[in-house]
Formats: sequence, structure tokens, C-alpha cells
Amino acid sequence: MLRRNFLKVGALAAASAVVVPQLSATDFRATKPDTWTAHTVDDAIKALYGAITPIESGVTVGAPKVASNGGAIPVNVTSDIDAKTVAVFQDANPEAAVIVFEMNEGGIINYDIKMKMGASGTITVIVEGKDGKFYVGKKTLEVALGGCEG
Amino acid sequence: MKIKAKLKGDIVKVKALAKHDMTTYNQAEKKTGDRNNANFITHISASINGKVVFDASTSQFLSKNPIFKFQFKAAGVKKGDKLEMTWVDKKGNTKTDAGKIK
Repeated sequence: MLRRNFLKVGALAAASAVVVPQLSATDFRATKPDTWTAHTVDDAIKALYGAITPIESGVTVGAPKVASNGGAIPVNVTSDIDAKTVAVFQDANPEAAVIVFEMNEGGIINYDIKMKMGASGTITVIVEGKDGKFYVGKKTLEVALGGCEG
Repeated sequence: MKIKAKLKGDIVKVKALAKHDMTTYNQAEKKTGDRNNANFITHISASINGKVVFDASTSQFLSKNPIFKFQFKAAGVKKGDKLEMTWVDKKGNTKTDAGKIK
């Protein structure tokens, strides 16, 4: 049974690799599937990076204190850390993961995205440094009108 | 996809808007009664002159028609070069568009 499942998984992975050839290095949805179904930020971080103790410094998360429209909240992430990956989570929606950036040569951590939040909550950004350490930045905001159900 | 890319000094700043409904599982369940009808961009990347400069795995919690702004060091990129961006969604659709560096 085990072997059969293994083959199935292998075939699936091969198939998806064929469909998207030049798309990047790591597809974190394929390599870390549990990250995207985890319901809490802690579980999602554990699924993506393992058990880590991030340092609370060096990561700036910008977002309005009160977001009038939860369907499109502008979020800005900046950091000077020489990083491998940058991951954004929040605790207001059914699942926690929002986006995982993979850094490339010459990449600068200064990202703006627009995201949905169903209620007030906290945005957590983890930066995985090339030095093997993890850094975290957080921002708590109020959402006047939730944007996840609509 | 709308792509605007500007070379300023030695940094290229990019602003991209992907047209996509980004339906979450809850929205799909409400509208169609089936969570599996959710569809959203799962991966988006950008490359220039064959080099990947932006790369992200995404979830359903980006806004409808999500905007991505990012920067990278120019390192040899000139005005007029083409920045190519591609996204893939949950149902396997892909879209590739290009924008010229201004």
C-alpha cells in the first residue's frame, strides 16, 4: 500500500512539473502542502519552517490601523535582511497562510500586496535569513468590513 | 495582467495587477454550494532576460484582482528590456504577459 501511494505522489509531482516548466524554483504549495491548510499561524509556520523561535526584529509590516474594506487591505513588507524566503500569515481567516515569497539574486524585500481579512486580526511576517535565523514582524489592525465571505 | 516597470538608478520597481476573481473556499461554497469550486492564483513569478526576479506561492486570501509591487536590483537591466510575468491558478489556467522597462 505504502509503495503504491508513493508512486501515485511521484506521478502527480512529475505531472505538475510538466505543466509549469519555467515557473520557478520552489512551489511551496507543492513542497509544503500543510502550510496552506493550517488554521492557525503557529501551525502554518511549523508546517513551513519546522519548530522555530523567530527573533522579533528587522521586519517592518505596514498596514492601515483601521481597514475600511477587508476585501483589499494594502500591506507592505520591508526588511534589510539577506533572506531566503518571506512568508505572510494572518489570524482572521479560516486558514493562516497568505503568500510566500522566494528571494532571488538581487531581490529587495519591499513588497506591497493586497489581501483579504474576514475580521480584525494580526498579520505575521516571517523572514528566513540566509544566516539560518528567523525574524518576525507583526501588525495588528482592525477591519471594519470583513472581506472573506462576500 | 497590467505590468508597469520603472528603472530608477540601479533599482527596478514593478507594479503588476493580475485579473483574477480569487474565489475563496467560503465564497465558492456560498455561491455554488461546493467548496471545490474555489479558484485562485497559486503561484506568480516574474523574469527578465531569463533571470527570475520575483517568485511567490499564494493563497486565496489575496484580494480580487491582486496587486503585486516589488523591486529588484537592476544589475545590467536596461530600459526597453521585457519583464515577463506568469501566474498559475488552482484549476491549472496560466497567463503570461510582458511589460517593457521604462
